[in-house]
Parts: sequence; structure tokens; C-alpha cells
Amino acid sequence: MSNNVLLDVRNLKLHFRTRSGPVQAVDGVSFQLRQGHTLAVVGESGCGKTSLAKAILRLLPRNVTEYSGSVIFDGEDIMKYDDEKFRREVRWSKIALVPQASMNSLNPVIRIEDQLMEPLLIHEDISKQEAAKRVRDAFGVVGLPLDFLGRYPFELSGGMRQRAAIAMALASNPKLVVLDEPSSALDLLTQANLMNVLKRIKHEYKTTFILITHDIGTASELADEIAVMYAGEMIEYASAEYFYTDAHHPYSRKLMASVPTLREDKELGFIPGQPPSLINPPTGCRFAERCEQRFAKCSTHPRVTKLENGATVQCWLYDEDETGEVKHA
Amino acid sequence: MPSVALKLTQEQAQAQKPVLRVEDLHTYFEVRRMGFFKVGDVRALDGVSFELYPGETISIVGESGCGKSTLAKTILGIHQPTKGKIYFEDQDLSALNKEGWKQYRSNIGYIMQDPYGALPPFMSVKQILEEPMKINGIKDKKEHARRIRQVLEEVKLAPIEDFLPKFPHMLSGGQQQRLVIARAMILEPKMLIADEPVSMLDASVRIEILQLLQGLQRRHNLAIIYITHDLSTVRYFSERIFTMYGAKIIEKSSTKALLKEPLHPYTKALFEATSDPDAENLKTFKDVPAGEPPSLMNPPAGCRFHPRCKYKIKGLCDQEIPPEFQVYEDHSTACWLYKDKARA
Repeated sequence: MSNNVLLDVRNLKLHFRTRSGPVQAVDGVSFQLRQGHTLAVVGESGCGKTSLAKAILRLLPRNVTEYSGSVIFDGEDIMKYDDEKFRREVRWSKIALVPQASMNSLNPVIRIEDQLMEPLLIHEDISKQEAAKRVRDAFGVVGLPLDFLGRYPFELSGGMRQRAAIAMALASNPKLVVLDEPSSALDLLTQANLMNVLKRIKHEYKTTFILITHDIGTASELADEIAVMYAGEMIEYASAEYFYTDAHHPYSRKLMASVPTLREDKELGFIPGQPPSLINPPTGCRFAERCEQRFAKCSTHPRVTKLENGATVQCWLYDEDETGEVKHA
Repeated sequence: MPSVALKLTQEQAQAQKPVLRVEDLHTYFEVRRMGFFKVGDVRALDGVSFELYPGETISIVGESGCGKSTLAKTILGIHQPTKGKIYFEDQDLSALNKEGWKQYRSNIGYIMQDPYGALPPFMSVKQILEEPMKINGIKDKKEHARRIRQVLEEVKLAPIEDFLPKFPHMLSGGQQQRLVIARAMILEPKMLIADEPVSMLDASVRIEILQLLQGLQRRHNLAIIYITHDLSTVRYFSERIFTMYGAKIIEKSSTKALLKEPLHPYTKALFEATSDPDAENLKTFKDVPAGEPPSLMNPPAGCRFHPRCKYKIKGLCDQEIPPEFQVYEDHSTACWLYKDKARA
């Protein structure tokens, strides 16, 4: 492990059992994330982005049939930990999660302060006073007034509750924070304020984030790297700068073209068809059926190709064949 | 989008008679304590006026709780206006009897945000589309079949025979929303109200649905009220944009003029808060006002945005309600900053 890679995920798989067959929610995802960087995982509903977060944090439902691969966090393969060790040493103390709609996941009958202190008291051997101080600090970091600590969740607005949930995740000083759709349930201005807060935390505390979102526009506010997921696979991974100017995978390009922009007038497109079922996904490229650039080779599963700037793309168009010739550049 | 050029220009649209005219509309909801004592009103709609022309789309943008859905529901007759008048093709709605209301309602299609919630799960596509015709006294089975075929073709749910026996849960989100649009179109309405029609859908489907609505509009010369919180879609879809804040329309503009220069500080903030996909965003902070929208039970005196506004003029903005200033021919705003710039 070198050049401060904090998280190194290799061939991570998470399959669920359902009545109609196994669902391959996360199917062989690999990526690396450096300390202090933010990775935005984007994709449409049902592409496996939330399952990826759950797989990293090992928050699994009961119907898991396959959970394999390696997750090397801070130099150690945490997949090898047993559940008890994982719970005590990793979850929440090293990797914290701000779940989807977390503003509504606060317990309505417990005061904010007590709720935020709870994970600290469970995971760390510290006094109540110490925990209270840490919670107050975290409240300051997310920009909430301290007198809100004594209130109940219903006395706070949606944006404030969301910030409280983020404060809860930050209070334990985790090395990695996973944010699952942190702002999509919020109003536009509240959302922009929240992104400002996250951006400030990122700059000042060098926190590493994984941001899971369906909103490519909002993702650009925080992301250093972008990962695009489609049908359980990570089909493109690139630095944000590279991705926003020149996405490579045909799906990423189509997705970018379907995002309306406020500041420039552009021709909008949409992607006909639907993503494949994850129960029996096609054996070849999973996007092939909807892809305008497909060719014979697409009926076999594409390899991951490395592009310049460390970007990777899982598409035959960029693969060098035996003759060393790239089909498309 | 190429379709924009085919649409009516604003002048052409306004040469016709308005489909809908709303005058000084107020909708208040009483708040009672213990179900009995009135403690006040929630002023969900507080003095809204505009005209809507055939073939035209008006976008209404604003955040949750600004009154945009109340406006839609008051026009649909789901809420009773407390004050003010609505005219549909010069007919005053308050003068309508029961039969007249039925007639009026059959002339407006309503598309709501959550397509799955809007479709009865126990009815097939065929039954869902027959229901409005049965209610409105269209009994001829052949006519039923003809209209169902026509609307399903228009919303591109093909092959039609495959879809007719399906139930809503068997359709994808985009298909469900197309079914909702088909149902709204089956009585051949003159006007559509689309309340956040794409906000629950995935990005790749959104544009498809919006283009579908646009196509229907062109073919049937429909007037559309498009309610949304997402500023980035409106430029592709509407001729005029109204911004709502605190139960009032605070800015009215042609789309072109608004995109060039938003006037009201709140609209400016909405622009600033909207992120286009651009890696440069990472490097800058957004200049957006903190705070929350006002309570509609006790709205602030004067301009409702003044507690959050960095341009506020002390002694004016916090005391007097700003009137509508016509700054350009196609652009007006209710903001004191423009009191000297208004056209005579």
C-alpha cells in the first residue's frame, strides 16, 4: 500500500437471494480511494450504489448468498474480520455512514445531544463529559447553533436534521464517511448550504468521503473522483476533471447528455430501454442492449481498460485487441 | 431541442384568448386548536394573478411550501379559494354548478409527482384508461377502444395489446408516468397541470417524459402549467417562468429574459444553488442565503424574503409589501430594489 490509499476495494461482490433467483446487486467492483479525496458514486436507481455502501460497511440483510472480495482499509483487509471485530473496530469508529433520508432516521423521542453521544459511548471508552464535548465540536463543524443540542428532532427543520445526522457521523472522528444521497430530499437552497458545509469539512479536516448520489450536477460540488455504476458493475472510474470534460463509457456519455443544464443550452438526449434485470444479467456487456455503439465483441464480458490519468473503463471500445489496435480512442 | 422552434412564440400565443385567467387568488387553510377554536390561517396562496394562453407552458418554480402545489390544486378545484377568481375560457368557476364543474374538470389533465401513488394498483391499464370516460358519460365501447389506442400510441406505450392487461406494478417508473399522462389526455383536455412530473424519475428518463409532454402540447395546442423545483429543466420546456416564494409570485418572466438575468434576489439564489455538472464546482463555495422559508401563518411584514436577503433596504423591505415592478417588457418582479427601474 503506497501513496496514501485509504480504501482499496477489489472484486467486491454482494448477491441477494430472492424468490425469482439471486440478485447480483454488486458484482465485482474494484476501486481505490486516496486519503482526503471524495469519490462520488453515480448511477440510476437500482444500479447497486447503495448496496455498494452497505457491502463496504457490512450492513447486510439476511438474504445474502454471496459476499466476497477484499476491502483493504488503511492497510488491513477488513473483510477478514469477524462480525464482532468489525462492529467494534471498524463500523462507526473508522467508517461512518450517513444513510439515505437520515434526517428522518433520528429517534423522535430522544434529544439530539443524547442521540449523538450514543455511538461515542458505545464505541469508545470515554466519559459522558468527553462525549458531550466531542458532540458539541461536531455540531460546530456542521454549523449548527449549540442550543439546538437540547432539542428533539421534530423541533429542527429538514436541513438541520440532516446536518445533525452528519455531525453524528463526524463525532467519532472516522477516517471515511459514506454519504448516501445526503441532499436529495432537501430543498434547493438547503441543499446548496449543505454542500457548502461538506466542502468546508473536506478542505479543513481532510475527511475522506464516498458520496452516493443520482445527481451528477450535485456530485460535481464535492467529488475528486467519479465512479459510474450500471447494473451492479462499476463501468467507469475517473477523476472528476477528466470525467466531466470527457466521459468515456457510452453509458456515461448518454447519462451526461441527459442532464439538463441551467447555464448552457445543449441538445438533450435520453437512454431508451431499461437496465437489465440483476437476476439474470446478460453474460456480455450489461449495457450492450441499449448501446448504439455495440459490436460483435460486446456479447462477451468486457475487460477493464486503463486509460490515461488513471481512469478505467469497462468497455470493449477502448480495449486493445491482439494487434494492439484500439477500436475507438 | 429542435421542437422549440416549432412552438408558438409568446406573441402568437397571446394573440389568442387566454385558456385560464387567475385574478388575485387567495387560498387559506384554517388552523384549529382541539379541532374547534380557530387560531389562525395558513396563507398557502396569497394574491396570485396570471393568464395562461393556448399552446403555452408556464413553469412555476419554488421550494417546498411556497404554495405551488396549492396553486395547482386550487385551479383544479380540489381546494376552494378564499378570495379571488379563476376564469376558464371566460367562464367564472365560482358560478359553476355541479354539472359545470364536471365539464370543467374534463378539460384539465392532472399529472402528479409520484406515478405509482397516482395509479390504482388493482386496476389494469385498460380499466384505468376507461374510468375517466365512464365517469364523463362516454358509453360507446368503440369510442373507448379508439381513444385508448390513440392515447397509448401518443405516449408510446407499444405494443398496445401487451400493455392493456398489465397492472401498474408491472410497469417501470417511466412507463407508469406515461400511463398517468395517457389518462390525463384521454378526455382530450385543453390544459394540463403537471406537478413535478419527472422529479421521481431517473435522469435518463426525465428528458423522454418532458419531450413527450412537449409533443402532446404541439399536436393538441395544449396549455401547460409545469410545476417544479428544478430550474435546470425549465429552459427546455417553457415560454414563461414564475418564481414563487412565501405564497406569492415574486418574479414573472419569459424564459429567455430570466436565463439572461434573474432579477429577484431569491431567484438569483436559486440560480446560484443549481449545480451544472462541472468539475470547477469543487473549487468554489456557493453564495446562498442561510435560513428557512417564512412561516405562512405569521409571514414577516413587508417582503417575505427580507429576513434572508442581503440586499434589503432597511425601513422599506421590512415594512411594506413590494408591488410588481415591470422592469422589462417581458419581465417583472416584486422587489423594492427595482422601484426606480420600473417602466411607466
